[in-house]
Amino acid sequence: MSSSRTRNGPTLNFKAVLLGEGCVGKTSLVLRYMEDRFNAQHLSTLQASFVTRKLSLEDGRRAQLNIWDTAGQERFHALGPIYYRGSDGALLVYDITDRDSFQKVKSWVRELRQMRGTEIALIIVGNKTDLEEQRSVTHDEALPYARTVGAQYVETSAKENEGVAELFDLLTHLMLEQLSQRQPDASPLRLQTSDTDTFNNSEDSEAPDPGDPAGQRSCCGI
Amino acid sequence: MGGYSMPANQLIPHFLTDLPPLNKRLSGNAGSSRIIYLHNLATKTIHNKGTPTDKALYFHSHTSEMSTAARPPSLRLGQQDLKCRSGCGFYGTPQNEGLCSMCFREKFNDKQRKLKQKAGETGPGSSTSVATLDRRSPQHAHLQGKVEQQVRKSLDKEQDHLGTLQKKKFTAVLQKTLQAGAQKITQQRSHVPDPTEGQFLLQLRQLRIPDDGKRKLKLEIQRLDSDIRKYMNGNGGKNINELSDLVQNAYTKVSDIVHNDPSFEIATNEDRDSAIDFFEKVVMTQNHKFLFSPYFTTDEDSDVKVQKRIRQLSWITAKHLDCSIDEVNSEARDLVYNAISELVGIDSYYSPQEKLQCTWRCCRHIFELLKRATGGPASADDFLPALIFVVLKANPVRLHSNINFVTRFTNASRVMSGESGYYFTNLCSAIAFIENLNGESLGISSEEFEALMSGQQPYSTPWESALLACESLHLISENMKRMEMLQKRNALISSGITSFEKELIDFQREVTERVDTVIAKAPLNLLPIKTPAFLIGQARAHLLSEGEAGHYQANMLHGGSLTSQSLTAVGGLAKPTAASEDTGLTLKDTSMSSMGRLSPLQQNVQPADNLFASPIFNYTAFDAVSLLEEPVSEANTDVLMLGSEFQGGLTNINYDFDLSDQSGENSTADESKLNLDEFDPLAQKSSAVQPPPPLPETSLLDSTTDSLIDSEVPATAVLLPSPLKPEVSNYRGFSNFDIPSISCNTGDFSSLGHDGADAPK
Repeated sequence: MSSSRTRNGPTLNFKAVLLGEGCVGKTSLVLRYMEDRFNAQHLSTLQASFVTRKLSLEDGRRAQLNIWDTAGQERFHALGPIYYRGSDGALLVYDITDRDSFQKVKSWVRELRQMRGTEIALIIVGNKTDLEEQRSVTHDEALPYARTVGAQYVETSAKENEGVAELFDLLTHLMLEQLSQRQPDASPLRLQTSDTDTFNNSEDSEAPDPGDPAGQRSCCGI
Repeated sequence: MGGYSMPANQLIPHFLTDLPPLNKRLSGNAGSSRIIYLHNLATKTIHNKGTPTDKALYFHSHTSEMSTAARPPSLRLGQQDLKCRSGCGFYGTPQNEGLCSMCFREKFNDKQRKLKQKAGETGPGSSTSVATLDRRSPQHAHLQGKVEQQVRKSLDKEQDHLGTLQKKKFTAVLQKTLQAGAQKITQQRSHVPDPTEGQFLLQLRQLRIPDDGKRKLKLEIQRLDSDIRKYMNGNGGKNINELSDLVQNAYTKVSDIVHNDPSFEIATNEDRDSAIDFFEKVVMTQNHKFLFSPYFTTDEDSDVKVQKRIRQLSWITAKHLDCSIDEVNSEARDLVYNAISELVGIDSYYSPQEKLQCTWRCCRHIFELLKRATGGPASADDFLPALIFVVLKANPVRLHSNINFVTRFTNASRVMSGESGYYFTNLCSAIAFIENLNGESLGISSEEFEALMSGQQPYSTPWESALLACESLHLISENMKRMEMLQKRNALISSGITSFEKELIDFQREVTERVDTVIAKAPLNLLPIKTPAFLIGQARAHLLSEGEAGHYQANMLHGGSLTSQSLTAVGGLAKPTAASEDTGLTLKDTSMSSMGRLSPLQQNVQPADNLFASPIFNYTAFDAVSLLEEPVSEANTDVLMLGSEFQGGLTNINYDFDLSDQSGENSTADESKLNLDEFDPLAQKSSAVQPPPPLPETSLLDSTTDSLIDSEVPATAVLLPSPLKPEVSNYRGFSNFDIPSISCNTGDFSSLGHDGADAPK
């Protein structure tokens, strides 16, 4: 039974929020991600603020990745907690050509760490690398900052489709990790039972190098 | 009790939609017992009013308020439904089983007494529900009283807050409506098993999980059901969070069972999920009354607050929110309306799932709207402002109660993930935004914001004005269309009129022309020239000599004059016929008849030539004279041609004269059928044509007519005799058929003669 349970176990539900100032490319990232993998038929969806993707983990389990876009306007900043409540991961997106958006990310990080502690996986995303010549936030500045707050750092270009898939793979991996750490006292919505063994498996295979995005890709069945 | 100051219009739709209730043991519900209590107060006041009219008025005032206040038209009650079932004309109430209070008392006195005994001092409403409760779970019955007392306490406390009378009135309305709903629930339950219960059982049976699993699921449902009830009926302090935890734990437990219990082993993941969904739906629907906005929460206060706030914010436009809704576009407006109706509809569903679905549909409409506005999949940056706008414009009822109900009692994973969870979260944040809204977040100064909020500064919102304008514009455009159509029609009519006028003028001209030409020809009537004059003398002399008064006789006497007589007779006959009826048939008939008469005379045709002069004058005396004279005066051969020519011309003229003849002479015309058409100049042709068919000679006549007209004018005197000759020839040719032509000629001549005769007169 346990094997069948492992195969058909409840779908793992991951929720990730996209945070960041307006116009930094949150929606573009999501669209690019969905388009790349599923092409037009999924892009033809009505909206790009909520996307969901089913993933098959390499251990045979299935996971559903829900990505919640949030309104980036400053006036809606206060509504953040409503969105990131109960989320497993957060993508903090900024525009590498816009220093203000990076400051905004910092404020999000502070808030998230304060509200959610370490139970939420954070990835700081420097978007628009295609505008390298206009860059105002350097890689050397962002990466150390991410390290200090315990977040991953990824640079992407939604326009050129650089690093997008890697970003979401990393996100999935991080959230899986979070989940396995929380395993003992999982919340009611986590259908954790009898999945422990498989979790260990996944941890074994993916734990070694969480910092390297390239190493994470394997966690998602492609 | 502040919660009840909420305007009735926002409560009524809820009450109406709440009518088909799904929770079973309503009586255990503290909320409903509070309502019952209030209802008793209300009924007391009603009954104290005494006269039936008072009562009717009372009911009427409230019912009308109800029906007009209900916002969604679909949820409106018809007046018919409000009347007493016994048809007494007063308004009935659901708690009286659709009867008015008087009828209800009469018919159900005994029954009520029994119930009262059972239920003690509580009113009829709660007594029935207690009975139901008894039937179902006896252990709850004794709790009822305590709960009621407790509720009353809290109610009393709350009522202290109710300062004004008006608020009390509101409460009266409210209690009545809610009570009505509650009563209907118990009623339904008393007759038939709860339909929803049966439905759920059916659904349970249809679940594709093993029977063992179903049994377990049912057990769990019953357990949670009774747990909730126990908690609600318990004496201890109540905390909504505890209740929420209770439910959430049950969900966890069920999902644990569903996913791990051996009895579910063969089920697929989808079936497991549907089993969990089913569990949630059943429990939530059945306990909606308990769990929705429970009395120990401040949900209702929040509802009122946010409602009031939204009303204050009615001036907010899409521009304030930076959202790309085109308020003036009708298509966009329709979508906004759809979204609004879905949003408002959230309140009408029982289970959290359905409420979430409603939210989902609402947001779908918004996305559709945004997609059209922006041309691509909308992002959250666009979506949230649009949602806020829709919430502001919808101002849904019991917003907080609904939101809280979902967040507390739905499976937590549902709102934390999934599309509807996302939308729900957005709805929550939209509400949060609205509640914390300030000038800054709308991009206006705080002074302006304050002014707008307090209503000091009127703000004509494009939305409102667009609605108004659209309404009137719609009317205008419709009217314009109508006007355009009318204008077209009018133009058509006027053009028709002008063309008709032209035609008329043309016709008139034609007629006058013809008349003129005819008149121009008519002068030919030189007839008066009275060439006859000497003839007359001669004729008279002849007559005298003959001693005959009537021309017939004169003719007869002359022997050869027989024909002439016949001719005159024919002329007499033919004249009216030609005048009155140009139709060939009548003419023929008369001519035939005359011919019949004439036929014997035909042999004497030749002498008749002379006789013809007489018909010209139409006067018997002249006729007779002319008969005698003509042969003498005219050279037969010369006249023959002219005469035949003349005939045609004369025939033409003849008709004109015939008219006058008829009016003047009448005598003969009366016999024949009157047909005014014949007087028409146009009819000439037919008359002219008519004679030819029978006779080849007539064609001769026709051909001559044209030339005759020209030639006519000068030699009238000469012409007069001429007709005689062709006729003669006619007679020779075709004894029988000639007559019509003859008749015409004679008629013509006679008329001419007559005219001439008239003139001298």
